[in-house]
Amino acid sequence: MATVTLNNVIKRFGVFEVVHGANIDVKDGEFVVFVGPSGCGKSTLLRMIAGLEDISGGEIAIGGKLVNDVEPADRGIAMVFQSYALYPHMSVEQNLSFGLRMTGNPNADTDRRVKRAAEILRINELMKRRPKQLSGGQRQRVAIGRAIVREPQVFLFDEPLSNLDAELRVQMRVEISRLHKELGTTMIYVTHDQTEAMTLADRIVVMRAGHIEQIGRPLDLYDNPDNQFVAGFVGSPKMNFISGRIVGRDAHGVVVELAGQEKTRVAQPLTGAAPEAGSPKIGSKVMVGVRPEHFGSAGEGDTDLVVRIDVVEHLGGTSFLYARTANGEDVVIQRDAAKVPDVSEITVSIGKSYLFDEKGLRLR
Amino acid sequence: MRYQNATAYRFLAPYLLIFAIFWVWPIIDSFMISFQATRTVPWRFAPTFNWGRLIGDPAFFNALKNTLLILVIQVPVMITLALVMAVLLNSPLLKARGLYRFAFFAPVVVGEVAYSAVFRLMFNLNFGIINKLLNSVGLPSVDWFSNVTPAMALIMIAVTWRWAGYNAIILLAGMQSIPEDVYEAATLDRVSKLKQFFFITLPLLKPVIVFCLVLSIIGTMQLFTEPFLITERGGPGGGTETLGLLLYRQGFRSLNFGYASAVAYTMAGLAIAITLVQLWLTREPK
Ligand SMILES: Nc1ncnc2c1ncn2[C@@H]1O[C@H](COP(=O)(O)OP(=O)(O)O)[C@@H](O)[C@H]1O
Ligand SMILES: [Mg+2]
Repeated sequence: MATVTLNNVIKRFGVFEVVHGANIDVKDGEFVVFVGPSGCGKSTLLRMIAGLEDISGGEIAIGGKLVNDVEPADRGIAMVFQSYALYPHMSVEQNLSFGLRMTGNPNADTDRRVKRAAEILRINELMKRRPKQLSGGQRQRVAIGRAIVREPQVFLFDEPLSNLDAELRVQMRVEISRLHKELGTTMIYVTHDQTEAMTLADRIVVMRAGHIEQIGRPLDLYDNPDNQFVAGFVGSPKMNFISGRIVGRDAHGVVVELAGQEKTRVAQPLTGAAPEAGSPKIGSKVMVGVRPEHFGSAGEGDTDLVVRIDVVEHLGGTSFLYARTANGEDVVIQRDAAKVPDVSEITVSIGKSYLFDEKGLRLR
Repeated sequence: MRYQNATAYRFLAPYLLIFAIFWVWPIIDSFMISFQATRTVPWRFAPTFNWGRLIGDPAFFNALKNTLLILVIQVPVMITLALVMAVLLNSPLLKARGLYRFAFFAPVVVGEVAYSAVFRLMFNLNFGIINKLLNSVGLPSVDWFSNVTPAMALIMIAVTWRWAGYNAIILLAGMQSIPEDVYEAATLDRVSKLKQFFFITLPLLKPVIVFCLVLSIIGTMQLFTEPFLITERGGPGGGTETLGLLLYRQGFRSLNFGYASAVAYTMAGLAIAITLVQLWLTREPK
């Protein structure tokens, strides 16, 4: 078990910088998920921790020991690849034991480790099969087994579930969670799927275009996003963004007028920057963020908003209304299935909302 | 659907016709000719005439011995060399990869006569560069063309030069189809580069290696150009005569088509037999 510390880590491919100074502190035994859209540099960051990519700048320490120039095999990590990366010509048993046998680990110990991994992952009956003869989920188990056998201090996962179908993905997600509880080892997990991040992580690192946007516990990110990107990325369906303009100030915060709907005003309490300081300026453009579940029935909140309904999706217990504001902006509204009216226009109230400035930074 | 198939075959007809006349028929015809005495006019059916001669003919066994000797030595050496070349071509350290790839492949497209002439000059006893090089490191000159062993070696060197690069390119394609992350996993498993080659690359490359072996075996069974042009029709004194050359000598110089056909079928039969044995030896365990 070990901590993992990234100190201003930079990665350049030629002249292109793809990771712009990452600072992350992973605690001992913690499950940390790197999440972000495709191409934002998650894999690159993970591969630098593994030692599969050189570090262009900054420092990486594992268990308090600087590993910038340490060979991948000596870093005490094990990695599970998205494509499984199993040895195709070896049986499951050989896949698990190959590394240990090649490096002259005593046979008895190798057998013990392989047996233990097989038990943890319940792949005992598969030991004689080749990867070709396994289903996607079984292959993924073997890939995880190969990592367990190394008895690493840190597990690294690079999108391990993205080649599985939806149902299996949920199942394996639970298994990985269970594995973390059982082993208690530090795990770093990369995914582009915010649901995976929310359900698995002790802490989430949200990345965009090589920058870390926010680090925090899942519910902290959900309840208290630092910026519009994180607010939009975390949560499903996404947070709605309705454009507006600051028209006034009161004792608690600011008053926002929604674009194209002069009569609809949202009072937004601000606690951080003192409103008297003249920031944010009256007249400046803002985005009002409202999660689908924070729309209430008319009159329940401070502000009522009239929207036209395009499509209603019934999921059983809850329904999602895909609607449009008077200004033509798309919004998704969550409702109890029983409370969905059969009309084309409804009035909803805005309950909890978030305010973002023109740069996408949270105003609070 | 039926109608469409018929139309397709009508369009294919010219090709199929020519294929039948110039491919299928000669194959059948030569099989029948191998059972005929072709030194008499008219030819007459004599099943044991050619085949009987074949199993007692010292010239045939000489050619067979030479062919198999070249096969057994040259093919493994060449494939090993091709593997080494493919590994070098695949190395991320290599600069100007395209240039090397072209250079390795070039011998295949060089004209046979030109290539043979150059080899004859390079290995010339008095002024060839090979003997000059041998002398410069203190070794005596070798008369490559008048002694059987050096002549056989020369044939093998020439064939290897011509086809090693070709096989290397095929092997390279096979290597590049092995996913990079398998090697990364092995690196994390602390498996050295050398062990990665022997325990990952080679096993995964096996189907491609077998393919190269089969191609080379078939090619060597038919070996003709080098002993014909470089060692001058199987010289010295038949010392490098191959089955291909024997066939040519019997068929097109003595016009003994029956015997040449029997030799041809022996070559084809041997190539198929050796290939099957080889495929069986290297089959995937269930
Ligand atoms: N070997 C490489 N050479 C050049 N650019 C690369 C290489 N690997 C990744 N990149 C670039 O780095 C960025 C981040 O890639 P990656 O870490 O794979 O993203 P993610 O895993 O978040 O989808 C991408 O823009 C990608 O094109
Ligand atoms: Mg990735």
